[in-house]
Amino acid sequence: MNKKWYVLFGVAVLLLFLADICLGTIFIHPAEIFKSITGAHPESTEHFIITQLRLPRAVMALLTGSGLAVAGLLMQTLFRNPLAGPFVLGISSGSGLGVALLVLGGSVLGWSLLSGLNVVIASILGSIAVFLLITLLSLRIKDTMGLLIVGLMMGSLSGAVVGILSYFSSSEELQRYVFWSLGSLGNLSWTDLMWMTIVFGICAALLVYVIKPLNILLLGESYAKSLGIDIKKTKWILIIISSLLAGSITAFAGPIAFIGLAVPHLARLLQPQMNHKTLIPLVILLGAALLLLCDLIAQLPFSSYSIPINAVTSLFGAPLVIWLIYKKLNLHF
Amino acid sequence: MMRLEKYKIGYGHCEVARCEEDLAFAKAEFISIIGKNGAGKSTLLKSINDRSLRLDGTISVDGVNYESLSAVEKAKKIAVVLTEKSFSHFLKVRELLELSRAPYTSFYGKLRDEDQAIIEQVLADFELVGLAERNLSTLSDGQLQRVLIARSLVQDTPCILMDEPTSHLDINYKADLLLHLKEYCKSHDKTIIYATHELQIAQALSDKVVSIYNGQIELHSREEFNTSQKLKEMFPSRNISFNNGTISFNF
Repeated sequence: MNKKWYVLFGVAVLLLFLADICLGTIFIHPAEIFKSITGAHPESTEHFIITQLRLPRAVMALLTGSGLAVAGLLMQTLFRNPLAGPFVLGISSGSGLGVALLVLGGSVLGWSLLSGLNVVIASILGSIAVFLLITLLSLRIKDTMGLLIVGLMMGSLSGAVVGILSYFSSSEELQRYVFWSLGSLGNLSWTDLMWMTIVFGICAALLVYVIKPLNILLLGESYAKSLGIDIKKTKWILIIISSLLAGSITAFAGPIAFIGLAVPHLARLLQPQMNHKTLIPLVILLGAALLLLCDLIAQLPFSSYSIPINAVTSLFGAPLVIWLIYKKLNLHF
Repeated sequence: MMRLEKYKIGYGHCEVARCEEDLAFAKAEFISIIGKNGAGKSTLLKSINDRSLRLDGTISVDGVNYESLSAVEKAKKIAVVLTEKSFSHFLKVRELLELSRAPYTSFYGKLRDEDQAIIEQVLADFELVGLAERNLSTLSDGQLQRVLIARSLVQDTPCILMDEPTSHLDINYKADLLLHLKEYCKSHDKTIIYATHELQIAQALSDKVVSIYNGQIELHSREEFNTSQKLKEMFPSRNISFNNGTISFNF
């Protein structure tokens, strides 16, 4: 275990977090942030921008980056597959389907159910529906490869339904759906963030509970079973943690690609080992740092434009994964 | 001491083999399982921990019904060496051994001094000290096989089941490893049961032989097995002669 990476990325997360608040359409001096948090000028524009816009967004980037990265790592161990990520089970596709049914289906039927809360509820319901379906199937499908393919099929199935719905819906509704699917870390209230934090807290508690069996799963299922590990229970808990993380993140931020897949590989590139007790903290720091950086770029500082976060993570992520495969660099489970 | 009673193995409705008499394996006994491909050697070993492969019968270890034990208690009774090798690419030899102490470690998996002592002892016994920090994926077949056997011993159980522990090894490693295992079995009072294709070594080293032939599982003493016509029946070929523990080719 090499401590320097933890220190390095710990500092990087702090600096990027600060930079994410300072930079944007207007520059805010770091000293101003401190004053705002302590409540020095509650009436100023800076105070509003910091406490209501940038600070919640930076916190969301922190939660989203670390949550997706941990979900990705757990999926890769669970499915014994280096290409697994939070989207593999079809959880985010389910989320997308839920939102599509609400936004696009509502318009087809002539209803208007659009509010921020409805979108969140639809997204969570969608991910839970897919999650339940997959768990039901997993009672019959014993091998993890089969489950992986079922997850991919769920993605393509919900893609088809979204396609049909968008064909019949108005351009206004379609635009709304497209905006959601591009992802956004902004527009979140402190109440939303509180809910996210509660979900993350539950996941952290569950994770502590499975940390020992999680490492033993590295020996393969047969050996893990011979060492007295309850494979079924461990798998269930891992699936619940991953769905809670991916489902809640997708509900609030939209589908964000590549973080879950790429961060565990980057972490193992720095530290080629699989002990989850040391890997999870590194993956959390790396995921948070990476998404803060992506958000910083997405804000296009000093301009009045911004680009969708999902575009930035994909622009970085896709070439990165191709490069990893090209270099044959540790793309292993 | 391990006993298999009224034992019957197979898949679903398809019976592979059964034993008419109970099989009893004593402490400090080195027992080989012999049978041709598909006879059910692996199935017999796997059926101990996989209920679906056991059509009928009970297992007792040290007088306790194995089925009545919790998963962790079972892991303290029987350790296994399997032919499947689906380890994480990044797992190191020492980590593998540390994780194999799982039945004894705390909720969080922290190793105590005695766990470390056992690991160091086994590493030394199997000449693996130099390989301790290597990734499993970088080991040769022979090295990996030694590591997997060491892994089962770290688990510190009275019984150890091994499925072809010497497959893919050169003949000198086969002989050395099996002799070493037999000595270990005597010095540490273990019951070691291993499935093998090494007929000649098995006939020389085993205390007892389990034969699986025509759906019948039978337990023999070495002397009885070596003098019987069992091998000739199991592996019929006019080009091979089996004669009291030696095998010769007629060409």
